[in-house]
Amino acid sequence: MIKVQKLTKIYDMGKVKVKALDGVSFNVVNGDMLAIMGKSGSGKSTLLRQMGLLDLPTTGRIFLGRYEVTRLAESTRAGLRLKYLGYVFQEYALLGELTAHQNVYLPGMMLNNKGKDYKKRATELLKLVSLGKRVHHYPKELSGGEQQRVAIARALINSPKVLLADEPCANLDTISSGMVMETLARLNQDMKVTIIFVSHDPSDKQYARHILTLGDGKIISEDGSPA
Amino acid sequence: MTRSLKVAALLAFTSVTKGNFRIALLTMLILILVALNLLFVPGLLDGLAWGANDKLINTYSGDLLIESDGANHYIANVDQLMTAIEQIDGIDSATARNYLGTEINFEGKYTGAAVFGVNPDTEKNVFTIADYIIEGSYLNTDDTDAILLGVQLAGADRPDLELYSRSLQNVHAGDRVSISYANGIEKEYTVRGIFYTEFIQTDLQAFISEKEFQSVAPLLTNNASTIHIKTIKGANTEDIINQILSTTNDVKVMTWEDYAGLVHSMTASFNIIEVIMDTVNLLVAGITIFIVTYIDVAHRKRQIGIQRAIGITPAAITLSYIIRAIFYAIISLALAMLIYKFGIIPLEAHYPFHFPFGDVYLRMIPFVLIRTALMLFIVSIISALLPVHGVIRTKIINAIWG
Repeated sequence: MIKVQKLTKIYDMGKVKVKALDGVSFNVVNGDMLAIMGKSGSGKSTLLRQMGLLDLPTTGRIFLGRYEVTRLAESTRAGLRLKYLGYVFQEYALLGELTAHQNVYLPGMMLNNKGKDYKKRATELLKLVSLGKRVHHYPKELSGGEQQRVAIARALINSPKVLLADEPCANLDTISSGMVMETLARLNQDMKVTIIFVSHDPSDKQYARHILTLGDGKIISEDGSPA
Repeated sequence: MTRSLKVAALLAFTSVTKGNFRIALLTMLILILVALNLLFVPGLLDGLAWGANDKLINTYSGDLLIESDGANHYIANVDQLMTAIEQIDGIDSATARNYLGTEINFEGKYTGAAVFGVNPDTEKNVFTIADYIIEGSYLNTDDTDAILLGVQLAGADRPDLELYSRSLQNVHAGDRVSISYANGIEKEYTVRGIFYTEFIQTDLQAFISEKEFQSVAPLLTNNASTIHIKTIKGANTEDIINQILSTTNDVKVMTWEDYAGLVHSMTASFNIIEVIMDTVNLLVAGITIFIVTYIDVAHRKRQIGIQRAIGITPAAITLSYIIRAIFYAIISLALAMLIYKFGIIPLEAHYPFHFPFGDVYLRMIPFVLIRTALMLFIVSIISALLPVHGVIRTKIINAIWG
């Protein structure tokens, strides 16, 4: 379970202070598929970055299971990102000098659990996201949808408890978007991975078990009911 | 650590093979130039010092030199001493010299010179002056009417000589010159030969046979002003000096380095010049590599942010840049060495630098090679580390999204 308690994030822009998150609290149960919806600037991506341990909140707390992970040292956060969290970025964020296969197995190589063959698993994951024939292609040789599916496979390499996806379809056409979202839904259903995704596209609601809607850094509704 | 190393190696490898080729080429080009400079400057200075030392030992001082240490300026009982010296292990050969101050006159031109009485046979064993005859021939043991002149005394119609204006200017082998010795004796000699060693101190000397010297200065028979010794390569100099001192009193034994203050101070100055040039060279190299790496890292800031976001540790990312820097340094050093050894050294040997003591040849010194490699690695690593460290310290979201 992920527990978010009174999370606030204030960006200090010199003379101006911008409150991106304002006392956000909610829980995510294991195996959930949560959609964080809202207009542009509502604080969706900021919330996901705090949960993905990519940024530190100004106040508030985040729990992964029983452990608070809000203000850990960067090396510990890096370890948690590697072991327990998978992160899919809006703009694919693949490493351009690595092949699809290398992009996927790199975090596995970093973790390198004994008995796990990360290269073999990377191949399997690429097959799972229907890219079995694009294993040795470089990102620039792949379409946007294919790159995003490579990013999903990369996020899954270390069998994370939680997969966080920040507007994974924002730069994709309708067909590619559908493939990516269906892939996420399949992973949630088949592999029981907790998935939290951010989207501003109302049609993505169909893939979610629960929906959280943000407005001006606050939760304005949960599953359609006002907070 | 092994995991970080494996990840770092993969990142470094892909960065080299798939990264910006022009940046890699520019970095290596700078490193090659720096390495060439680091090899060339000491190689030239060492060649200079080596050339000067070689000429000094083989034409002027010998490996060891014995002088009188007493009130008398001459070494007494030279014959016995020479016999004893030649028995000492590690000594190849020895030659005794006597000299008198003179004034040499040729067709109304005068120049002052020290004329040495020498045994031509033993001289040839210790010195290589006989190899530098440019006119006529070397002295014979029985010569009583012959003199051998250094080119800086004879002039030999070579106006390009350093001391031509104070020389006799037009003397050639076969000419007759008149000598006024310091003891008042005046004699005429035929110039047997002229030598040109290119070591000015040697080329200012004149030689007559020992037999002739004894006729000019009979009181100095069985005396010598100096004894010059050639040692066997690798011999223990200190041991030889102690053995010589145990055979006779009133002498002092000097190594060629003790005797040649000029070369000694020149070598010391070369070392200082080398340190200054190396420091400046490394600073320039370090700053240049830093700028190139900084631009490269700034370009890769987002990539580094992504690597951190997916769980690659800062240590692994930093290590990847170190591996890359070492790789570039190794390739650049290897190329620089090849260019230096098979390009610059042969080219310089074909068109050598000319100095007052002769041609100077570039040298490749193993110590300098190791030092160059170390300096290049250290500069490369530091220059790569600093900008990477800066990006690693940036917040992940700032690295990825600016």
